[in-house]
Amino acid sequence: MKEIEALQLPEDLRYAADHEWLRPGDPARIGISDYAQDQLGDIVFVELPAVGRRLERGEEFGTVESVKAVSSLYMPVGGEVVAVNTGLEAAPEKVNADPYGDGWMVEVKVTDPAQIEALMDRAAYFKSLAG
Amino acid sequence: MNPQPSITPLFERHRTAGANLGDFGGYRMPLWYPAGMRQEHRAVILAAGLFDTSHMAMLTVAGTGARRLLQQTFTKDLDRVGPTARPLADGRCVYGAFCDSRGHLIDDAVVYRRGEDDYFVVVNAAMGPPVADHLAGQAPAASVSVVDMTDRVAKLDLQGPAAARILGPLLAAPQAVFQRLPYFAFKGHFDPRHPHADTVRLDDGTPVLLSRTGYTGEFGFEIFIAPEGAAGLWDRLMDIGADAGLLPCGLAVRDALRTGALLPLSHQDIGDWPFIHHPWSFALPYGPDGRSFTKQFVGSAALIQTAAHAAHTLAFVGRDQRKVAAGPGSRVLDTPGRPIGTVLTCATDTAIGWVNGQVLSLASPQRPPDFDPKGLSCGFVRVEGPLAPGTRLNLDDGRRRIDVMVVDDIRPDRTARRPMEQMLG
Repeated sequence: MKEIEALQLPEDLRYAADHEWLRPGDPARIGISDYAQDQLGDIVFVELPAVGRRLERGEEFGTVESVKAVSSLYMPVGGEVVAVNTGLEAAPEKVNADPYGDGWMVEVKVTDPAQIEALMDRAAYFKSLAG
Repeated sequence: MNPQPSITPLFERHRTAGANLGDFGGYRMPLWYPAGMRQEHRAVILAAGLFDTSHMAMLTVAGTGARRLLQQTFTKDLDRVGPTARPLADGRCVYGAFCDSRGHLIDDAVVYRRGEDDYFVVVNAAMGPPVADHLAGQAPAASVSVVDMTDRVAKLDLQGPAAARILGPLLAAPQAVFQRLPYFAFKGHFDPRHPHADTVRLDDGTPVLLSRTGYTGEFGFEIFIAPEGAAGLWDRLMDIGADAGLLPCGLAVRDALRTGALLPLSHQDIGDWPFIHHPWSFALPYGPDGRSFTKQFVGSAALIQTAAHAAHTLAFVGRDQRKVAAGPGSRVLDTPGRPIGTVLTCATDTAIGWVNGQVLSLASPQRPPDFDPKGLSCGFVRVEGPLAPGTRLNLDDGRRRIDVMVVDDIRPDRTARRPMEQMLG
């Protein structure tokens, strides 16, 4: 288990309480945090939505399956899915190895940019993990 | 169970190694180490893994009434063991279970015979007191003593094809120890005062009980040692095993390995229901007719009576690595879609994959050169009647439905039963 201080939590991202990250932009990119992948352990399968799906904030957009369990992925913001990381089908372990790079999951056209502002910045997310 | 989890003598090792920790059986235990479950799984299949299993409970059952008490309570007939149906000999152990009068499981166990009146019983975490109480309740107190040894013994499991080559250099007399040590045999004792203590000593003089058993399906040992020696042995094994690919392993991979090896988890795959119609019929004392028992024991009459109606537990393997959540919320559906049972265990054995309609493992000699499996879901279901291997089923947890097949074995080419000579070369 990584110590909280050893977790990689990039400054340019926003974070959700369910441990998804979002990189603001058009489209915005979404994945799961270093903390989430560390807690899940080795990921063996990632299930992602179809391109074109519209999802509300908080809605399940897929699942991430570790050797231990299957966990839901939740939209940190509402929007339309415009791309999914198809590379994860063959190499789900990228989520463990590079959660903010090759391990990204979906790109969305954000419906309401104010929802991005409502997400945590690095400092707030770090504080929530340090509890 | 204590609200505050207990720790084993190896807890500091797990913490400093950066293991992800979780609570199991009342103990704070490593779930996996930084290498990750997939690498740990691979290590146990191809090299070796080291597990802290000190959370398991252990009893001694001793005295002139010990054998009779075990014959009366343990599902295995100690007078008829193995293919030749001989009495359990000194230095040998057997797998079986303890049941209540309804034939429902109390716990499964391995019983070690150290002498005619001296048995060692290994049960599951937190099960020492209930099993000891059950035995005490069946025993004439004067002739047998049941003692819970759990906190007085630590246990390290060294599992994988390289296990003997790693352990050998740490033993005072490896040749003598490894001679005549087949699967389910053991030697030595962890108590320095015991007459058997001289049989297996580490090179620093520490006595251990060395058992050729485990919970992974792979070749290896369970090493019982006094708690104060556990951390030193862990360090030396990790040090000497590094070149051979030894990895420390957690409970998560232990669960996947045992599932692939067709071994049950007590209180999950076997439990508070009749201990019958499951892949572990060798734990019951069936006579040659395959229906009646060669001895009576607590629960035997109920098992015979309920046999016609009791549910069946069967192994399955999936099409790919995807799992469902097992438990009461899960359903097993037959091909027409009728619910016929529940999922007991669903795990991913990451060492196996389908090749031309056959499940192969990383250890299979006939695997293709580029074989790099992502793993297959596998486990156990409990259904209303018997089903032939090859039967297709759907497993549904309310979120996902997977297509699986009933099988009579899961991970092929396991090494647990290989002759010792093969593993020393």
